[in-house]
Amino acid sequence: MKNYFAIGKPLPRVDALEKVTGKAIYGDDLRFSNLLYGKVLRSKYAHAKILNINIDKAKKLPGVRAIVVGKEMSSVLGGEAIMDYPFLAINKVRYVGEPVAAVAAINEEIAEEALDLIEVTYEELPAIFDPLKAMEKDAPLIHENMNSYKHIPVIKPIENSNICHHVQFGNGDTSKGFSESDHVFEDTFTTQMVQHGSIEPHVAIAQYDPTGKITVWVNNDGPHRLRKDLAKAQGVPLKQIRIINPPYIGGGFGGKGGLKEETICIALAQKTQCRPVKILLSREEVFTSTIVRHPSIVKIKTGVKKDGTILAREVKVIYDTGAYAEKGPTVTIQASTAAAGPYKIPHVKVDGYCVYTNKTIAGAYRGYGIPQVAWAHESQMDIIADKLGIDPIEIRLKNILDEEDICPTTRQVMTSIGLKECIEKIKEDSAWNKVHRQNIGRGIACAFKNTKTPSGSATIVKINSDGSAEILTSSIEEGQGVKTILAQILAEELKVPLDNITVSSPDTDLTPFDASSTSSRTTFHMGNAVKKAAEDAKKQILTIASEIFKVGIRDLRIENGKIYAKQNPSKKLSISELITSRYGAGMDIIGRGSYYTEVPGQIGGVRSSQSIFWMYAAHEAEVKVDPETGRVEVLRIRAAHDVGKAINPLTCEGQIDGGVVHGIGPALFEEMIIGKKGEVLNPSFLDYKIPTALDIPEIIPFIIEKHHKEGPYGAKGIGEMTVVPTAAAISNAIYNAIGVRIKDLPITPEKILKAFINQ
Amino acid sequence: MLRKIKEFEYFAPSTLSDAISLLAQYNGNAKIFAGGTDLLIQMKQRKLTPEYLIDIKNISELNYIKYNEDEGLKIGALVTHSSLANSEIIQEKFNILAEASLAVGSVQTRNKGTIVGNICTSSPSADTPPALIALDARLKLISAKGERIVKIKDFFTDPFKNILKETELLTEIQVPNLPPNSGGAYLWLPKITAVDETLVGVGVVITVDDAEDNVCTDVRIALGSVAPTPMRAEMAENFLKGKRINDSIIKQAAEIASNETSPRSRAEYRKEMVKVYVKRALTQAVKRIEQ
Amino acid sequence: MDHLVNINLKINGEDYNLNVKPNTLLLDLIRDEIGLTGTKRGCDTGECGACTVLIDGIAVNSCLLLAAEVDGKSITTIEGLSKDGQLDPLQETFIEEGAVQCGFCTPGMILSAKALLDKNPDPTEEEIKIAIAGNLCRCTGYKKIIQAISSAVIKMRRRK
Repeated sequence: MKNYFAIGKPLPRVDALEKVTGKAIYGDDLRFSNLLYGKVLRSKYAHAKILNINIDKAKKLPGVRAIVVGKEMSSVLGGEAIMDYPFLAINKVRYVGEPVAAVAAINEEIAEEALDLIEVTYEELPAIFDPLKAMEKDAPLIHENMNSYKHIPVIKPIENSNICHHVQFGNGDTSKGFSESDHVFEDTFTTQMVQHGSIEPHVAIAQYDPTGKITVWVNNDGPHRLRKDLAKAQGVPLKQIRIINPPYIGGGFGGKGGLKEETICIALAQKTQCRPVKILLSREEVFTSTIVRHPSIVKIKTGVKKDGTILAREVKVIYDTGAYAEKGPTVTIQASTAAAGPYKIPHVKVDGYCVYTNKTIAGAYRGYGIPQVAWAHESQMDIIADKLGIDPIEIRLKNILDEEDICPTTRQVMTSIGLKECIEKIKEDSAWNKVHRQNIGRGIACAFKNTKTPSGSATIVKINSDGSAEILTSSIEEGQGVKTILAQILAEELKVPLDNITVSSPDTDLTPFDASSTSSRTTFHMGNAVKKAAEDAKKQILTIASEIFKVGIRDLRIENGKIYAKQNPSKKLSISELITSRYGAGMDIIGRGSYYTEVPGQIGGVRSSQSIFWMYAAHEAEVKVDPETGRVEVLRIRAAHDVGKAINPLTCEGQIDGGVVHGIGPALFEEMIIGKKGEVLNPSFLDYKIPTALDIPEIIPFIIEKHHKEGPYGAKGIGEMTVVPTAAAISNAIYNAIGVRIKDLPITPEKILKAFINQ
Repeated sequence: MLRKIKEFEYFAPSTLSDAISLLAQYNGNAKIFAGGTDLLIQMKQRKLTPEYLIDIKNISELNYIKYNEDEGLKIGALVTHSSLANSEIIQEKFNILAEASLAVGSVQTRNKGTIVGNICTSSPSADTPPALIALDARLKLISAKGERIVKIKDFFTDPFKNILKETELLTEIQVPNLPPNSGGAYLWLPKITAVDETLVGVGVVITVDDAEDNVCTDVRIALGSVAPTPMRAEMAENFLKGKRINDSIIKQAAEIASNETSPRSRAEYRKEMVKVYVKRALTQAVKRIEQ
Repeated sequence: MDHLVNINLKINGEDYNLNVKPNTLLLDLIRDEIGLTGTKRGCDTGECGACTVLIDGIAVNSCLLLAAEVDGKSITTIEGLSKDGQLDPLQETFIEEGAVQCGFCTPGMILSAKALLDKNPDPTEEEIKIAIAGNLCRCTGYKKIIQAISSAVIKMRRRK
């Protein structure tokens, strides 16, 4: 067991003091002079042609400084996977809430009044809300020009349809597998539209300078990605766009990935003579006009031997991506790779479809499509176990992947698998048994998730002449603990306290490239980059010391930020003393580090089905069901997560605690309800409820460490995995409690009561 | 959609008569502002755009909870849900009201919102009205023209509508003493999470001849959120009166009560929950008689 | 309408004499006029609790208060909790117990906890949960927040 200085220690977060004293700055706290306020006019129709937009009256309102409509930016289409997204609707609207026009004014009241004065004439078109209907042969096309959209090579739209991506993965011959099976199970599971629920709304401020360069301050989770997306959409060089993050983001969970409010700010800022324009989305706009989690239909067919061995599995996954593709196609890819579950199955076939509908745009959401497939494969696993009379834990242990097994969907050779340890930990801690007390039941679920590969992170570590250090990074802090983890890694290399280290927030002009702070990738990728940069800086410092002490670098030791020769430990020099003695007139030590994942099987160099690491987890839920009301009380959740190495066990636990509660909401009650005309009926926290302190179970987290040979100190990732197995664990527990099996989320009291009475 | 609140003129009178004069003067264009937790949301939604706001929070004579053996309980217009729930006399003698107050929103909402304000908003899903109806409360309404006392069960007319005139101020809630051998309970099922609007609210006050005999001499079953306004389940009440209370009688009364309701949304489930919660509330109320 | 309301109030112990438009929300007064941005805007409908402040020690949602109605009152925002650089026990335990993640709910959460502990120095876990049920958090799952509040109870007892 290696003894580390900072790694593996439950150190308090470096940003906690700022946050508990109210000094932490978020997007809406930034202050600008000469600011103009933007407001957005949004479509009331789910699908309609825009015949005319009359802004004459609005233009004349005193205090209005700019108005913009989509037609002015008709050549601009954005989008990471498929470039289908206009900054403002151009010829038609495709969902209720789509931006149609925007106003910048000297205050918010005038901007709102101006919106009232804009007249838009629409011609309604038939709208489609059901993805299955959208997939039908003669369904009206939501994107008539889809065939002409640019897209990254790995995306495969089906021409002249509403299917913007179809992906297939698999191995073996499923017909053969089914024919050899003793039992074949076929089930369909669905999930609902879910909101991220970050407490901080989206905000952006944009300002042009006289040279035509735009600076955007925005709470976005991938500033370099955003810069690239904006540059591509507008056809301008990268250096003409500068993205600056506020120091902190108040929660993201994938929802702040861009191309929403900042694009409208940019459109307005083009017309305000270099005055900055700010748009703060209202909570309602966050609900209707940012992104949501993909509603899904998962059809899963599994063939097993009577001893529980899985021989074959076919999964058809349909993701309802709403009006624009957003990250839908890559969500579909990633989810499809995990759709068969973390099991060794010789014959597998997965078909993933990403489908347009005239609803709120679906995009990246914690888990990136995998909570939905895990819901399906883990629910069905218990259906199988129940039918065969096999214990749910035993059937999983029998089938889960072992080291060097191949992933059933992508044929990647899998290593660093801590799943068995996760399941066994739960089995041991919970004294797992199937005997249930009155209306109380227990259920288990496990899952795995990959990280987007390839992807790159780069960083600069700057050691100042007084020994303090800065990590210049484009990773963002939205609560996951990024700043603390990166500081811990630098602290480990230089043996300095965390207090000595500042971690920057992103500025794409100054902080080097990072793919994004998503996909649970930051500890691994940026962590590796920081480690390399720290080693680089350390080498330079040790070189100075070796010249001063006149010994080889290998004879030097670092302790508490002081360097000495092992032969003469009484003569120590601090990092500051070393730098100033070498550079009397002043200098920094600059360490650089880049990390880019190289794996075989890269497709088009952009997205590989082979992932540099996978995360594994198992959740066990204990629930009590009230048979008179159908209400479910979650008593306890045990959550075991293989993180590779917990750089900070305190923050890891925090992620598990938070993820479990975040997973309970969509399991039992969260649902965005869409009305007959495609409008969101509950776009507020009044009517869309996320869990409160009174709704939580006892949470027992377990950190399992199955080292990854390439991860920094063996670390992998954790953030998204924590919401993945929860729904199925709860559902399996409900079945154990009262014998009711619900297959569509959320599992509401009504559904339970109805099923219970009908038993 | 939420917007900036439209501009208005603000008054903060320090006497009741000043407040009433202002109401009369700005007939229809003024709104009374106490807790404001409902009012300000409606003003942000532009559902209400009063030109004048009359803040009554400086009228100290409206902030009281008084009790005596003869007249019972009197609650002034400025009493917040928190004060009500924390009041010892209410916990001791009218605990059903404390229970209903605790069902309202979160701590922050309860600290600001007044029970009178809750009544005046007249949401079909409000919690304090069913409790007050079960307690057979009365309301004092004052205007420049004089005052009137109305029974709370006659106060609500439609969802979010009541008999309060635009020139009237609801200044006091009066709750008569409960006869001996009485017990009450307020139970509620939230729509979704613990801090949420009420899906089904049941307020029950039951009186028996004596604790051993257990024959019901009087009962009021008030239901919230299952009809356009808070309502009494009068058929269920009539079924119970004169009968010896036991589990089977309670269950039957609950079913009768359920049939009296007319919920608009989630109707099937709500009606089923009325059965469950009337049963539980009656059981609880009867238990409290014995204590 | 040029009608302004004059208010005299204390914010974090400092006196202010201000003329405000009647339709100014207390939240906006605090954040914009006074410049204290620790109090956050999350939903504008009093549901998330990110805008919680203490008025005469009682927790309320400042997005549902008018500046005009706090005349004569004493307001505490998160910035007013530490005294002369010494953190409040709650601020210390929130740091120590890992109860802070994105931090957006933290100011409101700490103030709701403070209001509870000032009135009830030895709450049960249920009472703690009720006190913070109006402060939504999407990051922490509330577990470490509840632990931090319990730890603060012990700290406060020791300091007496």
